[in-house]
Amino acid sequence: MEQRIDKCVLPNGMVVLGEPMPEVESVAFDFMLPGGAACMPPGYAGAANVISEWIFRGAGSRDSRQLGDALDGLGLQRSTSIGSSHIYVGAALESSNLAPALALYGDIILNPHLSDEQFEPARQLIIEELQSLDDEPRQRIMIELRKRFYPDPLGRSNMGELEDLQSLTACKTRELAKAYLDVQQIILAVAGKYDFEAVCRQIESLFGPHHPKPLSAIKIGARGPKYTHIPHEGAQVHIGVMTPTARFADEAYYDARLAVSVLSGGMSSRLFTEVREKRGLCYAIGAKYHSLREAAGIACYAGTSPDKAQETYDVVLAEFHRLAKGIGEEEMARAKIGLKSSVILQSESSSSRAGAIGSDYYMLGRVRMLDEVKQKIEETSVESVLGFLRSRPFEDFTVVTIGPKEIRVE
Amino acid sequence: MIVRKGRPPCLPWGRAMEFKQKTLSNGLVLIGEVNPPAKSAAVGYFVRTGARDETLDINGVSHFLEHMLFKGTERLNSFQVNEAFDSRGAQFNAFTSEEQTVFYASVLPEYLVDITALWAELMRPALREDDFTVEKNVIKEEIAMYQDTPTFDVVDRCRSLHFATHPCGYSVLGTNESVDALTAEQMREYFARRYAPNNIIVACAGSFDWNRFCAVVEAASGQWRAQEVGRPLSHFEGTRQKVRADKANLKREHICLMHAGVSAQDPRRFAASLLSMIVGDDYGSRFYWELVDKALAEEATMHYGPMDGTGLFYSYLRCGTPNAGRVVAIVGGIFRDLVAHGITGEELTKAKNKVLSALVLKNELPMGRLGDLGSNWMYLGEYRSIEADVEAIKALTVDDVNHIIQEIHLDSYTQYSLGPATGI
Repeated sequence: MEQRIDKCVLPNGMVVLGEPMPEVESVAFDFMLPGGAACMPPGYAGAANVISEWIFRGAGSRDSRQLGDALDGLGLQRSTSIGSSHIYVGAALESSNLAPALALYGDIILNPHLSDEQFEPARQLIIEELQSLDDEPRQRIMIELRKRFYPDPLGRSNMGELEDLQSLTACKTRELAKAYLDVQQIILAVAGKYDFEAVCRQIESLFGPHHPKPLSAIKIGARGPKYTHIPHEGAQVHIGVMTPTARFADEAYYDARLAVSVLSGGMSSRLFTEVREKRGLCYAIGAKYHSLREAAGIACYAGTSPDKAQETYDVVLAEFHRLAKGIGEEEMARAKIGLKSSVILQSESSSSRAGAIGSDYYMLGRVRMLDEVKQKIEETSVESVLGFLRSRPFEDFTVVTIGPKEIRVE
Repeated sequence: MIVRKGRPPCLPWGRAMEFKQKTLSNGLVLIGEVNPPAKSAAVGYFVRTGARDETLDINGVSHFLEHMLFKGTERLNSFQVNEAFDSRGAQFNAFTSEEQTVFYASVLPEYLVDITALWAELMRPALREDDFTVEKNVIKEEIAMYQDTPTFDVVDRCRSLHFATHPCGYSVLGTNESVDALTAEQMREYFARRYAPNNIIVACAGSFDWNRFCAVVEAASGQWRAQEVGRPLSHFEGTRQKVRADKANLKREHICLMHAGVSAQDPRRFAASLLSMIVGDDYGSRFYWELVDKALAEEATMHYGPMDGTGLFYSYLRCGTPNAGRVVAIVGGIFRDLVAHGITGEELTKAKNKVLSALVLKNELPMGRLGDLGSNWMYLGEYRSIEADVEAIKALTVDDVNHIIQEIHLDSYTQYSLGPATGI
């Protein structure tokens, strides 16, 4: 069946997007609330996390327990996360429960109690989660890497900062919540089985007329240090390397994605082959594309024993540098089919489609059709990718290591 | 999903999903669930072997062997294997558990035949000495990685404590020492014993042609020879010991609790999965309201792990060390309360809705369906439609779950705590 994207801009400014999926009985929805980690004013890193926890602790006519029970009663698979630009709250569920689920989320976003009584446990839970990161170096390193790679506050930790969280008050957090849960800038993405007319009517009646609230623009600051070592007496040195590349909205986006695929798409890709298959240096090795609206990078992770850390880093860097020197036609063909295949496989899941259409709209102001994505991948070539790599050589690396031993970096 | 009276839920499998099955003369079982509208197909080789089928002197061999299958055959080297998967855009991998080694791939329908043929070929690996030597380093890095992942480490340690000398307590990864000492010859011998066709199930789900799938598997595997394979099965109640260990680099307390559970073959497994949801789902469970909501622990979950002839409930709690004593005491109180009073009707309804909703979402993807298809055949020797599972869950009563609570002695368990040196 032809892919279709539904879109409606409500009179209050809110954007509702949808993608019907006739083959599923589920529906997934994602509210993108414009209050991500980078949006919080300086000194309030982590406030977005507390808000995302606090709004679920009582809303509308329900207290915290009643709200939790109502969500559970609908069998929702809940998901909440904090990005640089947005707080994402959503769920996947059996489609006949969509209307009551949206009604509950309408309350959560518009009428959260934000009570003093619930503030402390919400804040404390976020602090506990942040502290547990110390025991998870693999997770921590990517947060530390993005923090230093992107200009502040774009790469700010999506877990918050301890000092800021410790001084956060209910009063200030409430003020931030009211300011940043701005109806006009909310994007709602729905994918799966739904009635678009009904969803729009319901959202319009729930969210009502818009009362604009001016938001201060983010002031972009400096990037972090080029190399940071965080001592940790663990079994491995965890190495994170990140370097700039084309953004999601840039012309060269698909060339950048193909370059990352050649470097680290499948098990025949260069990093896996050189670091793991030939040298046995690592179990976990890989690079991923990561983009914000303002900037993008290729983020690489490798975990290895202290005595192999330097060699691992050297091999990884050499592979970044080798990329612009040449790419084989077969290598390129594998990168293309790998990317196309993953796009199609992901399109089977209502949750991943809801996430994708919302993200497309925020980044590009429109939703890309799958055929367009496939065609753009097809249009890339060895020449176009090499041309891109040579016009933007890898010269600028941000490196973070966590472990018992430092390394020497370029 | 809300379970309504008088109106059957509308489910995707209301459309024709056709089950197919065939057993070759050498015992290799082929099963498939054909769903023509799917955009992809998922294929898996389920080998009935894992850590519990090892002896201590070759501990870790199942998992190491799983890695070695990717190193190729007499015809293909490891680079060619990786290229063969990637040139068809396959999303592929494998995992080893205490009792299964599963090789799987998700592909566009046009590549299903090629990828099935490739897996079939890899099931007869070369197990070359030089590949074995390089891969040993990768395995040791994997062991090191999990040592730096206390969430995983504490469950592994607790499993050993719970099962004591029972082989279900053997580590899947093995230890640095056992992996170091392992020889390629020992691996070849283990392979010859365990990768017999009558110990393997080949399963496929999604959009694919059953006859072509069978033809490919038969051509590649018809000559494999059946042999005596088995596994001693015995239920194990668990040691119910309590241990705490410290590790200098940890900042949090990681606590794992284990209860003996009903087996994968036991009809009460559905009630067991509801119990774990009621006690320790991420949201809305007893653990959630008593521990996470109150910010005493940042994570408190319980899962049910059905196994061959036995079973396990495992709970994972993570909190600051000052809270650890209180967290363990509260958990004990929750267990005692459930033993004394049982669950409520409201808890049962919510848990059913959550389990059914998760079942819908998981089974919409061929890859999600593949797991259940393979496991049901491996453990039960039968096909179970999704409708059958939905009906089994809907039919459960408060008493069914309460019987499990009594049966497993919920207030008596094995406990392993891992935390900083200043802990409880």
